[in-house]
Amino acid sequence: MYAFDYARPASLAEAIEAMKDEDAKALAGGQTLIPTLKQRLASPTTLVDLNGIAEIKGICLKDGMVAIGAGTRHAEVADSADVQRLIPALAHLAAHIGDPQVRNRGTLGGSLANNDPSACYPAAVLGLGATVHTSAGRAIAADDYFQGMFETALGEGELITSVDFPVPEKAAYMKFVQPASRFALTGVFVAKFLGAVRVAVTGASESGVFRWPEAEKALSANFSAGALDGVALGADGMIGDLHGTPEYRAHLAGVMARRAVTAAG
Amino acid sequence: MSRIHVTTSVNGDEVDFLCEPDETLLDALRNRLGLTGSKEGCGTGDCGACSVTLDGRLVCSCLVLAAEAEGREIATIEGMAEGEALHPLQKKFIEHAALQCGVCTPGILVATKALLEKNPDPSETEVRYWLAGNLCRCTGYDKIIRAVMDAAAELRRA
Amino acid sequence: MALDKQTTAKREFKVVGTRPLRPDGVDKVTGKALYGADLTAPGMLVGKILRSPHPHARIRSIDTSAAEAAPGVKAVITHADFTLPDDEDMRDILVNCMAFNKALYDGHAVAAVAAISEAAAKAALKLIKVDYEVLPHVTDVDEAMKPDAPVIERGRQAETVGEGFSENVTSYCEFGHGDIEAGFTRADHVIERSFKTEATHQGYIEPHACLATFTTDGKADLWCCTQGQYMVRRVCSAIMDMEASQLRVTPSEIGGGFGGKTTVFIEPVALMLAKKSGRPVKIVMSRSDVLRASGPTCSSSMDVRIGMTKDGRITAGHAKLRYQGGAFPCGTVEMGAMAAFAAYDLEAVRTQGWNAMTNRPKQAAYRAPGAPMAIYAVESVVDELCQHLGLDPLDVRLKNAAKAGTKASYGVTFTDIGLSACLAAAKAHPHYAAPLGPGQGRGVSCGFWFNFGGDTCVTLNVNMDGTVSVTEGNPDIGGSRASIGMMAAEELGVPFDKVRTQVVDTASLGYNEVTDGSRVTFAVGLATIKAAQAAKAEMCRRAAMIWGIDAEAVTWEDGCAKPSGPNAGDFPPMTLAEIAAVSSQTGGPIAGHHEVNADGAGVSFGVHLVDVEVDPETGATKVLRYTVFQDAGKAVHPDYVEGQMQGGAVQGIGWALNEEYIYGEDGRLQNAGFLDYRVPVASDLPMIDTVILEIPNPGHPYGVRGVGETSIVPPLAAIANAVSRAAGVRLTELPMSPPRILAALDAARPKAAAE
Repeated sequence: MYAFDYARPASLAEAIEAMKDEDAKALAGGQTLIPTLKQRLASPTTLVDLNGIAEIKGICLKDGMVAIGAGTRHAEVADSADVQRLIPALAHLAAHIGDPQVRNRGTLGGSLANNDPSACYPAAVLGLGATVHTSAGRAIAADDYFQGMFETALGEGELITSVDFPVPEKAAYMKFVQPASRFALTGVFVAKFLGAVRVAVTGASESGVFRWPEAEKALSANFSAGALDGVALGADGMIGDLHGTPEYRAHLAGVMARRAVTAAG
Repeated sequence: MSRIHVTTSVNGDEVDFLCEPDETLLDALRNRLGLTGSKEGCGTGDCGACSVTLDGRLVCSCLVLAAEAEGREIATIEGMAEGEALHPLQKKFIEHAALQCGVCTPGILVATKALLEKNPDPSETEVRYWLAGNLCRCTGYDKIIRAVMDAAAELRRA
Repeated sequence: MALDKQTTAKREFKVVGTRPLRPDGVDKVTGKALYGADLTAPGMLVGKILRSPHPHARIRSIDTSAAEAAPGVKAVITHADFTLPDDEDMRDILVNCMAFNKALYDGHAVAAVAAISEAAAKAALKLIKVDYEVLPHVTDVDEAMKPDAPVIERGRQAETVGEGFSENVTSYCEFGHGDIEAGFTRADHVIERSFKTEATHQGYIEPHACLATFTTDGKADLWCCTQGQYMVRRVCSAIMDMEASQLRVTPSEIGGGFGGKTTVFIEPVALMLAKKSGRPVKIVMSRSDVLRASGPTCSSSMDVRIGMTKDGRITAGHAKLRYQGGAFPCGTVEMGAMAAFAAYDLEAVRTQGWNAMTNRPKQAAYRAPGAPMAIYAVESVVDELCQHLGLDPLDVRLKNAAKAGTKASYGVTFTDIGLSACLAAAKAHPHYAAPLGPGQGRGVSCGFWFNFGGDTCVTLNVNMDGTVSVTEGNPDIGGSRASIGMMAAEELGVPFDKVRTQVVDTASLGYNEVTDGSRVTFAVGLATIKAAQAAKAEMCRRAAMIWGIDAEAVTWEDGCAKPSGPNAGDFPPMTLAEIAAVSSQTGGPIAGHHEVNADGAGVSFGVHLVDVEVDPETGATKVLRYTVFQDAGKAVHPDYVEGQMQGGAVQGIGWALNEEYIYGEDGRLQNAGFLDYRVPVASDLPMIDTVILEIPNPGHPYGVRGVGETSIVPPLAAIANAVSRAAGVRLTELPMSPPRILAALDAARPKAAAE
């Protein structure tokens, strides 16, 4: 790691102040950031540890939605009775990120701010049409939030404070795991709301998580795995790496989408 | 980049140390406190050999900054036995020959203790998934799983 | 050399075959056991190594002046600090530890620093300027063999290689007997297939680590995690040009090795830094360094041709094996060529092997080095013949199995071996009869390893309180302190808990070969038994002295000296403790020792059965059930024999399904971390069931055979055969990652539809 200063704000206001340093970086769960620092792929002057800020933690119900604080850890989302009852697909997704050590440290906000193209949470946020609230007082719709691989709508020094998840009629997330990291080699989140179906695909595209309009249209007409017969993604723009070709990922998106629909019931 | 003074609790003892901002909890445990039972197998959170608990939650200490330990409660392998009395998990690991080289053993014991505190009656599948973040290259996991299931049964009887 | 037949009658054991608690267990479950990185010394410096980012580059110059001037830096070294030894093997080891005129692979060490802190050492590395002339590189074995391939080093080719190959091809070997072409003519069906396997890594969880000190009068101490402290002393003293007695090497507890810690990577560097700085130096490799620059396996490219009659008799077998073992000559292909057909009793067999150099790290041993890939190829073709001819794969193997009297393809004639017993046990096991569901397949494979003995010495001291201290020189990598102590207790007739076994440093005992070749329980056990016998003879002599009778008139039975018969006199038996208590009055301390180059290790066979399920939509494979059958000769501590069988099987499962070295077009390793180099985790696996067979090894007093290595051999083919049967298409490349399986399924689909 390159040397840096460490700050541990006790409130969101203090954190916002600390993040005004343009070379400051926020530390949430650290499960991606600390390995990145160790590899010297980032060189912040100050690391702003968000783990002491109580106001961005916790899960509550708000206007029929599930509001989850950005500092809430994956294990807390997985174990939350409210999340399990209202959006079991989200609890299931959180329960299958990485391993217990990752789930006990990693946070919702950290995952979304990083927007790794293979992360699971972006699929849920986009698939459920969630709203991302930030320290700048903005409420950003999921459709506007994700702007490409590791790119988001967050401004300089802007922190995620919470995310509001609408409650679907039914939903499911299926991922084919990259066998070493258990990141999604390709993962699909399918959510059925009154009158609309949303399908979000993660792990596959060079542009990060994306919605799959053809699948949404087919499933809106007929919410069954069979409705996806003949609906396929092209390999253009898909990720090719040592774990799979663009064609393989495009194929997996179809398989995972059908399985997610079946799992949603 | 000034050093940070950290006061924390390790295995129930209040300790303090000075560390660099970029120092990991694992390095502080091993190099500043002399607790070398936690091992570094990868430094990237992939092998679990550095597993400790932080306020009761299982974490990889190689991905926690030492500074984050301020005011927290840390438990390591060195605190698992009570004096000369081994924890039932430790006893069962020896009885079931659930270790060969033993370098992953501290992390696996810390991880399974955290599991049994959360879920005293896990299925074999639950144990296997819970340990998915702890690599063992010697045993093929078979005897580890048996030791954990046996220890869980004994702890339930106790 | 004629075998000294050790095993005569089947004997009853009291300690051997039981399952006592291992003596080092408490240290290892409490975090007290000290491994390579766990020791510190006063005034210790941190050593760090600068590694080449290029797979192949001439080193024009190295400027270390800025690094030397940096704060906290106490020593900087490059190849210029070393002198090349005359011995070729030593030279290759040194050049692998520190590049001389060329960087030969991504990660090759080019310089090193010792500084007062990790941060200071890292900062200093950045200040070293290496002027590289980047050269064309090659990492694939088939590419490296082509005449126009970039040459790694000229002048290393053996004369036997012949024409038409690149100079990278360093050696050629062949084994076999009989007329294979006549054999193929007699066959009802012949299958020839080509296979490729990628390099894998031993994946020990403990990275290499060492702590070196050097005094101004030329004495040095080295603490390190190694499979052989005497090997480390021999290699490092040759490289440092010092007398062996002046270097004391103490082995730490070892956090896994599997062959990967049978050589040195950082120890000479630490010694040189310690010598130059005058302070203790610790070096710990990162995981990325371990994957890039320690010793993975060979990768391979193989052609196998086998002929079979309709009733399942193999008429001929021919294997051509091409291995690459990194940037130096490597003999591993020879072991593959010897092992390929070892499981079969054949009239006509031929194996040929070529080794090629590439721009990859120097391979190191990994459990049964060279055998898993060759046997994978052979066992795959045998399985395909069984499918084609509609024959049961275990029946065919039983029909052709090597047995006592079989002349193996590599020249030896087998004595008592356990292959048929393993096959019969597999055939009779409920696993083999269990029904399979849709998408599931069952695979079978045989496995083989030679097993080794080698230089060994043991000292056994009988303490005055009636306890016994065994001193041995082989790091305990999987429970050997227990098995060695058990054999001492057995032989002496004392309880196991009266014996404590210590693994000692190089100053405390004579030369012992490394913990490899499945040799420790066999060879150290043999030496321990002989040392115990020497101690018993001495105790009989002491008892005879006390009783005033001839030593020949005293025998040792059940832990006591006894008069050997009514004519010897009527004395109550004296226990070991009673004799030891008065040893000071009967001539002094009592000990036994034994030094031997142990022969007669006894080959080892195993058979694995596996059920898998293949997901036809994703190509993912799930291992459902796994059973290992292996001949242990005599299982001294069955828990740790099972542990070897299970651990090897799971490493083989990883090799078959997930693990591989992936080099990019740029010649750099793409997956130098556990995030991308994937070893099996608990949730990937079922229980690994084990069946131990005991066909005594005539070369050991208790019939022991090594068990450590054979278990990694069968999984590659067993899984490939199971996957191929489940998927309905033959897989010929490892690892069988999901995309590869799906591609094979897709390729087969239109063909199946057209038929």
